[in-house]
Amino acid sequence: MSLLELTDVTRSVRLPDDRVLHILRGITLSVDAGEHISVVGRSGTGKSTLLNILGLLDEPTSGDYLLEGTSVARLSSRRRAWLRGDDFGFVFQQFNLLPGRTALENVAAPLMYAHGKPFWRRFRLAASMLDRVGLGDRLDEMPDKLSGGEQQRVAIARALVRSPRVILADEPTGALDVDTGGDVMSLLDEIASQTGAALIAITHDLAVAARAQRHYRLAEGVLVPITLNAPGRITEWVGDVPTDRPDDAVAPAVL
Amino acid sequence: MSGIVGTIVEAWDELRIHRLRVLLALIGVAVAVTAITGVTAAVQMMNQAFKESADRQSGRSVTVDLYAWPTGAGGATASTEQQYAAEFDRIIERYGITYASRMTGSQLPFRFPSGTAMVNAQVVDPDYGVITRFRTTQGRWFTDADVQRFAPVAVVNEAFLATLGATDVSSHPTLLAGRDTQVRTEVIGVYKNSWPDEPPSAYLLYDHTTRWGLLDTAMGVQAPSFKVWVPPDLAKQLQPLLRRDLAAALPGTRVDASETFSGQNVLDGATRWVVLGIGGFSLLLGGLGLVNIALVTVRFRIREIGIRRSFGATSGRVFFGVLMESVVATVVAGVVGVVIAVAVIKNIPIEKVFGGRIEDVPPFPIAAAVTGMVCATAVGALAGLIPAIVAVRVKVIDAIRY
Repeated sequence: MSLLELTDVTRSVRLPDDRVLHILRGITLSVDAGEHISVVGRSGTGKSTLLNILGLLDEPTSGDYLLEGTSVARLSSRRRAWLRGDDFGFVFQQFNLLPGRTALENVAAPLMYAHGKPFWRRFRLAASMLDRVGLGDRLDEMPDKLSGGEQQRVAIARALVRSPRVILADEPTGALDVDTGGDVMSLLDEIASQTGAALIAITHDLAVAARAQRHYRLAEGVLVPITLNAPGRITEWVGDVPTDRPDDAVAPAVL
Repeated sequence: MSGIVGTIVEAWDELRIHRLRVLLALIGVAVAVTAITGVTAAVQMMNQAFKESADRQSGRSVTVDLYAWPTGAGGATASTEQQYAAEFDRIIERYGITYASRMTGSQLPFRFPSGTAMVNAQVVDPDYGVITRFRTTQGRWFTDADVQRFAPVAVVNEAFLATLGATDVSSHPTLLAGRDTQVRTEVIGVYKNSWPDEPPSAYLLYDHTTRWGLLDTAMGVQAPSFKVWVPPDLAKQLQPLLRRDLAAALPGTRVDASETFSGQNVLDGATRWVVLGIGGFSLLLGGLGLVNIALVTVRFRIREIGIRRSFGATSGRVFFGVLMESVVATVVAGVVGVVIAVAVIKNIPIEKVFGGRIEDVPPFPIAAAVTGMVCATAVGALAGLIPAIVAVRVKVIDAIRY
C-alpha cells in the first residue's frame, strides 16, 4: 500500500465572471514511504495547489486521495488538521518563520500542537533538531538576524521536528542563491533519508529537481513523469505531454 | 491537557511578543478595573468612617437605650439603685447580652489646684467604651479590672486635664472628687474636647460612684438608664421584652426603650449603581480599544495563522488561541488594576480624606476585586470574539500566501 495515492484528482475554481478555471486535471500520483519526488513546472501551473492538496491544506474538486489507504475526503477538518500536524512537514519558499520568535521558538512551534511528551519536551526536541541542521549555536537568534540559508535551515528543522512521514517542500531554494540552495537541498535530502520521510519537492529549478528519485512535470494542470539527467536537463518525456503551449515541447530546460 | 496548556502558552507568547500593542490596549482595561475596585473600596471605607462616627454618637448598630423612672403608680415605693442594678444584671444574663452599660449623669465637685469646680460627669460601665467606640487621645478607657480598684478612676477631657495642670496621664495625676466624702481619683485616660471651649468633663465608673457615694442623692434616687448592644436582627424583638421584664421587676417604674440610629450605608441604592456604572462604562471603553487593536493585529497575523494551520492547528485551536490572547491579556490587566487599587487604598491618608481615624478599617473588598476581575475577563472574551472569528474564517492556503 502506498503512503499517498492520488487518483484522477482535479481542482477547479469558479472565477468572479462565472468561468471555471481548471488548476489540476486528472492527477494520478503514488508516493511510497522514504521516496524522494520532484515536480517541476512553470509558475501558475498548479504546483502549489498540488502540494496543498497533498498536505491536506486544500481539497480536490474530484478524484480520490488516499492516505495509507484511507480516503481523506471522509475525514473531518479536525482530523485532517491532526494528520497535517502529525504526518506532514512543510518547507516554504519564503521560509515563513514566525516573526518575533527565536530560532528555537520557531522550531518548537509545531510541537505546541502535539500531545503528551513531545509537547512538554518541545524545547529540548527543537534544540536537538536545530543542532542537527547545524544551528545549535544560534538557538536564541531572531530570524531577521539569520542569513537566507540559515533561515531555511530553521524552516527545515521546524518541518522535521515532529518526525513527519511526508515532507512537502514548496520551492525550497527559490529565495536562495545557487550554492546555498544546493546546501539546503543536500541537508533536506540527507535528513529526509535518515528519518525515512517521503520528500516531495516542487521547484522550477531542474538541478534541484534532479536530486529526486522520481521526477514529474506539471503543465497546464497535468502531471507527467519525466526523466532528468544530473545537470538538470529533461532527457525523456514519459506519457502524454500537453501541447497547449508550443514552448513546452521545445524548451523544457527553461521551466 | 497539553491542548489547554498549549492554548494558554500560545496566547501568553503572543502577548509577550506583541507586548507594546498589548500594553497600549490594556491600559484602559487596567484603569477601569482600578476605578471599579478602588472606588468601591473607598466608598466602603467612607461608609465605615460614617458608621463609626455615628457609633461614637449613639452606640454601635444596634444599641438599645432603656430609660426607667419611678412613677409612684399603684402606691409602689421607688426602687433603690441596687434594685435597678440587680434587675438590669438579671436581664443581661437572661438574654445573653454581651455588652451592656448602666448610665447616669451628675454634676460632681472636683478639687482642682485652682479650686473646686463642678464637672459634668458621665457615669458608666466599662462596656460603654466598646459600645460607643470610645477613643482616648491619651491613656486608656476603663477595663473590667478597674471596677475592683481601691480608688476611683476617671477618664477626662482635655479641658479637665488642663485645669488639673497636667499634660499627660503617664504621671498618674490624681485629684479629690466628691461632696461629703471626698475620694482621691486617678485620671487614667483623656479624650478630645467635643468643641473648642468645652468645660471640664469626665467619665466615672458606675460601681465607683455607688461604692464611694459620689453621686448627689439629695434630690432622691436617680434611676440609671441602660445601654445594650444587641444583634441587629434581634433588636426589634428584644426591645418590648426588655421593657416588659424591667417594668415587671420594678413596680411603679416606667420603662422606655429606643433604638439608636445606625449609620447610613452610603453604598446602598443609587450611589452603588453610579459607582458601578462609571466603572462599567470605563471598562466598556477599554474593551472597545482592545477590540480595535486586536482586529488590526489579526489582519497583520493572517500569514502566521496560516503557518500555524500548516503545523496542525485546528480551526478551534486558532479560535480559542486568539480568544485566549484577549482573555489572558485582560486578566493580566485586571490583576494589575486590582493591585493598583489595593496599593492606592492601603496608602490612602484616611485622616485627611475621611476627617478622622477609622478604628475598624474594613478589609479590602474582595468582592469588588472579584467583580473587577470577572468584568475584565468578560470584556477580554467579548473583545477577542470578533478577531477570533476573523482568524478562523481565513482560508489556510490564502493565509500562507498572504
